[in-house]
Amino acid sequence: MSQKKSGFHPAGYEPVLLARLGKPNSRHIDGYVADGGYSSWKKILSGVKTGEWTPVKVTDLVKASGLRGRGGAGFPTGLKWTFVPPKEKRGGKPVYLLCNCDESEPGTFKDRLLIETDPHQLLEGMMLASFALDVKHAYIYIRGEMVHGAEYLNEAVSEAYAKGFLGTDIQGSGLTLDITVHRGAGAYICGEETALIESLEGKRGHPRIKPPFPAVSGVWSSPTVVNNVETLACVKHILDRGPDWFKTLGRNEKNTGPKLYCISGHVERPGVYEGPMGLPFLELLALAGGVRGGKKIKAVIPGGASAPMLTAEEVQSLPLDFDGVAAAKSMLGSAAIMVMDENTDMVKAVTNISKFFAHESCGQCTPCREGTPWLNKMLKRIVAGQGKRQDLDLMLQIANQMGNGMTICVFADAAIAPVLSGVTKFRSEFEAYIAKSAALDYQLPAPAAVTDKVAARVAEGIHS
Amino acid sequence: MAKVTVDGREVVVPDNGNVLEACRIAGVDVPHFCYHPRLSIVGQCRMCMVEIEGMPKIQASCTVPVRDGMVVSASSEKALAARNATMEFLLINHPLDCPICDQAGECKLQDNAFAAGLPVSRTSEPRRQYPGYDRTGIGPHVIADMTRCIQCTRCIRFCAEIAGTGELTFIERGGHTIVWTHEGKVLDNEWSACTADVCPVGALTTKDFRFRKRVWWLDKARSVCTGCEIGCNISIEHRDRQVFRFLPRPNPDVNDYWMCDYGRFRAEELNAQDFTRPVVKDGGSTKETNWGDALERIQKAVDEAIKAKGAASILVIGSANLSTEENYLLNSLFRTRLGVPNVEFVVDNGALRRIKNPKAEGNQEGWLKGLESAPNSRGAVAAGVTRALSDSALEKLSSGKFTPAVLYVADAAFAKKASDPAFVQAARKAGFVAVHARTKNALTEVADVVLPVASLSGKEGTFVNSQRRIQAFSIAIVPPPVVRTDMEVLLHLGKRWGVFDTRWTAGDVFELLKKEIPLYADAERESRAVAGYPAVISPASAYDSIFSPEEAEAKLIAAAAEGRNG
Ligand SMILES: Cc1cc2nc3c(=O)[nH]c(=O)nc-3n(C[C@H](O)[C@H](O)[C@H](O)COP(=O)(O)O)c2cc1C
Ligand code: SF4
Ligand code: SF4
Ligand code: SF4
Ligand code: FES
Repeated sequence: MSQKKSGFHPAGYEPVLLARLGKPNSRHIDGYVADGGYSSWKKILSGVKTGEWTPVKVTDLVKASGLRGRGGAGFPTGLKWTFVPPKEKRGGKPVYLLCNCDESEPGTFKDRLLIETDPHQLLEGMMLASFALDVKHAYIYIRGEMVHGAEYLNEAVSEAYAKGFLGTDIQGSGLTLDITVHRGAGAYICGEETALIESLEGKRGHPRIKPPFPAVSGVWSSPTVVNNVETLACVKHILDRGPDWFKTLGRNEKNTGPKLYCISGHVERPGVYEGPMGLPFLELLALAGGVRGGKKIKAVIPGGASAPMLTAEEVQSLPLDFDGVAAAKSMLGSAAIMVMDENTDMVKAVTNISKFFAHESCGQCTPCREGTPWLNKMLKRIVAGQGKRQDLDLMLQIANQMGNGMTICVFADAAIAPVLSGVTKFRSEFEAYIAKSAALDYQLPAPAAVTDKVAARVAEGIHS
Repeated sequence: MAKVTVDGREVVVPDNGNVLEACRIAGVDVPHFCYHPRLSIVGQCRMCMVEIEGMPKIQASCTVPVRDGMVVSASSEKALAARNATMEFLLINHPLDCPICDQAGECKLQDNAFAAGLPVSRTSEPRRQYPGYDRTGIGPHVIADMTRCIQCTRCIRFCAEIAGTGELTFIERGGHTIVWTHEGKVLDNEWSACTADVCPVGALTTKDFRFRKRVWWLDKARSVCTGCEIGCNISIEHRDRQVFRFLPRPNPDVNDYWMCDYGRFRAEELNAQDFTRPVVKDGGSTKETNWGDALERIQKAVDEAIKAKGAASILVIGSANLSTEENYLLNSLFRTRLGVPNVEFVVDNGALRRIKNPKAEGNQEGWLKGLESAPNSRGAVAAGVTRALSDSALEKLSSGKFTPAVLYVADAAFAKKASDPAFVQAARKAGFVAVHARTKNALTEVADVVLPVASLSGKEGTFVNSQRRIQAFSIAIVPPPVVRTDMEVLLHLGKRWGVFDTRWTAGDVFELLKKEIPLYADAERESRAVAGYPAVISPASAYDSIFSPEEAEAKLIAAAAEGRNG
């Protein structure tokens, strides 16, 4: 990691998730334990028999912390855990915990940093969550392209087994936990939790119809909790330092804890930054050295490619947390903040994003399978100087036909967000392209051309 | 049972039903592509969108299980707009060349576009092409054309869930998705052509029928497959006295929605008709003659044999290919009226045929199984014809221990034995040989009289299948002039001894069966159980409109809702 330890967080903020960044061998267990790692897990291992530690107690701590999922939707983690049916209602089925390490939202690269620099932090979080959820086998689903990450995670898992933090009857506690690292094949859609489940089962990554929700019937038809890497890492710190401490970080009761921000695009120092939940956008931008070359901002995508774009005005006093960004009619998503400066060609930017979604649609649902390439084809045509007068309104109409329940998963809603926001907020740029177009209107082939063709075919004896 | 209100109409729906089914029970036609009553719910096509009270977003009705008190708006503006949207998306890459597509006329995309689509297209982008995946055979019977595929996955699910063979899959992703066989596989299972049935569009068609006839010209008749003892319900599809294809006719108690390729592709064999006039042997030479002459010769030979050697000198061979009515007439003429003790039949065991129907009675491990390669051994037995065992006259004839004075074979192709040279040689020794035949075989070569009879497509009657279910089949094509049905032949022959009325229909004969055969006392021609046999009752009314699987299913669901068939 080229990132300097100082400067990746606001002054006066003590990093939590990236506290061990830059330490030699930060990814190995000895260093982790030396820094106080696995103390919460040990607490539980020794306290489970005495009854000092119960799953409910862990869940309650997580609930009290106000932790919300870092995978994109910001769903309260403790609440999600309580959706798993109690043991007597599970029909003998095991509960699974799946760590979502598919991280493929464009602009997002925080989970990768976590697993490459401090994988034991994640493992400990998974151990604690597994205890809370009565999980005996947890999986880390890691995106196929993260070759090193998978390697490091596997090493870390072996180390944890060797040190007796995983396995059967762990340290005489009576608890059993195995963790398996499963590599995906590199499809964005496999980050969607039910597609991830299908993929883990060995099938194509097709999102499932919900309900049933994974908490009731997930992987192998068993109750399943899917949590993001960063979410699970937070669990470790909640257990280490308590929910009250957790809540001191953050803007308000509903947006708590430490947060990793991935900032990229036209900034001086793109990278992962840690701060409290609700860090003001301008503060993050300053940490990243401001807009490259001292230029002005034109647009910001605040939460990965799926998040609606914001204009320069809209980000001026934007707090980067779930409710703050939602209030600006976008979303914090995976906290991938992409900054575009005044020279950015918004038409090309939207076209580029639409290409990503056209490429990544799983293809199950008609509106998404057909709509994403349609939008992309139209945008490419506009960029190529073949735009039509009607194109912009048509694009907005098409996009509106794809979202809001028209599809199985919310991928389609994600795919249309950049188009809807881009075309609406930067319409004049699109119009400028179209104004220069060579063929402004749809045209039918000249009737003469058609009759000539038919005549030629009749002459050839093809038509009679 | 759940009470659901659809567009203001309250209906009762089985608890495991979904909103799409509720709409259909309510008589509200919600268009759909990926939903199939026997395949898993995938909610992929997004065609069946409706509004449901209490759910803020539009819903794919097939994916929502019914709940008591649900209120559904299937025809609201929002629902119609959503469906129009899906139609538009489906059509932007579709070739829209229905005039040269063989599915036209029975295409769901065409129907739904007609009913709900936009009158104009808003796309000007190039349409997707599938070089290498268009008009390509993917198995012995099925041709795939991905330009027409709407990715509904019905075919994939058929192979995975019904056939259990899983040859088909999605390859590629998103807008590039192709439905094809797994690498190195061919679509070659026992029911491969059912994939073309479930395919709502022209993406999968059968080599055998493709471009043979525009489907709107085809007339349809309700019939039963004779390929094995399962007796899959079929529709004989014909035009201008020619059979073009069989389609499975949904019957949830028997073949469900399916039939096997073997049975299906016997369809065009029905068009073979070697004998169009009675043929008789005079001295060494054969000649065509009229019915009067042919029947006269048989009557004479029979009377003479009885007089000279007694009725036991006659052997009559019935057939498991003939209807119960025909076997009954054969038996009552020869055994009851003329006192012939030897009225027998044999049936072959063929390749094992299977139909997936876990809900049907008489299935083993979810399958109905058919071993006998003829449809009606049970009907022949019920009609009084004896199943030939080792000490039977038929076996004695085969082994040369019995030489009948008259051999009357009511089906020249009664079993494989009919073409066995040893049997034919033994048969030839009989004093007089008469056969009913449609096509030539070794037995017709040696017969003194060949009576030209119609194929299944020209007949009506009933069979009793392996579940002991009485199944009626009806006439598709009036036989060619002079050719008669087996029943007509037997009625006319019987009239010569004053036993039958030549005006009888199969229905009249069935009434006789009911009177004379105790087993049939409570039977009904279609779909009711034979008394004394396991009571398998299917709601006949459910498949009155049998040619639309959807309609049939909707009626079945409705019947279930009313508690008519449990
Ligand atoms: C198209 C799509 C892609 C997603 N990709 C990811 C991903 O890469 N990583 C992730 O953690 N969550 C992803 N999610 C969110 C997951 O579905 C799920 O909500 C999340 O993993 C839950 O974890 P959390 O509660 O800890 O946030 C994605 C969702 C969608 C709809
Ligand atoms: S919305 Fe798109 S990505 Fe999601 S299931 Fe449907 S086709 Fe697949
Ligand atoms: S080939 Fe036909 S049945 Fe199969 S997915 Fe395509 S449209 Fe559906
Ligand atoms: S299973 Fe038997 S009855 Fe059914 S189609 Fe095949 S041969 Fe015909
Ligand atoms: S029929 Fe309901 S989504 Fe296809």
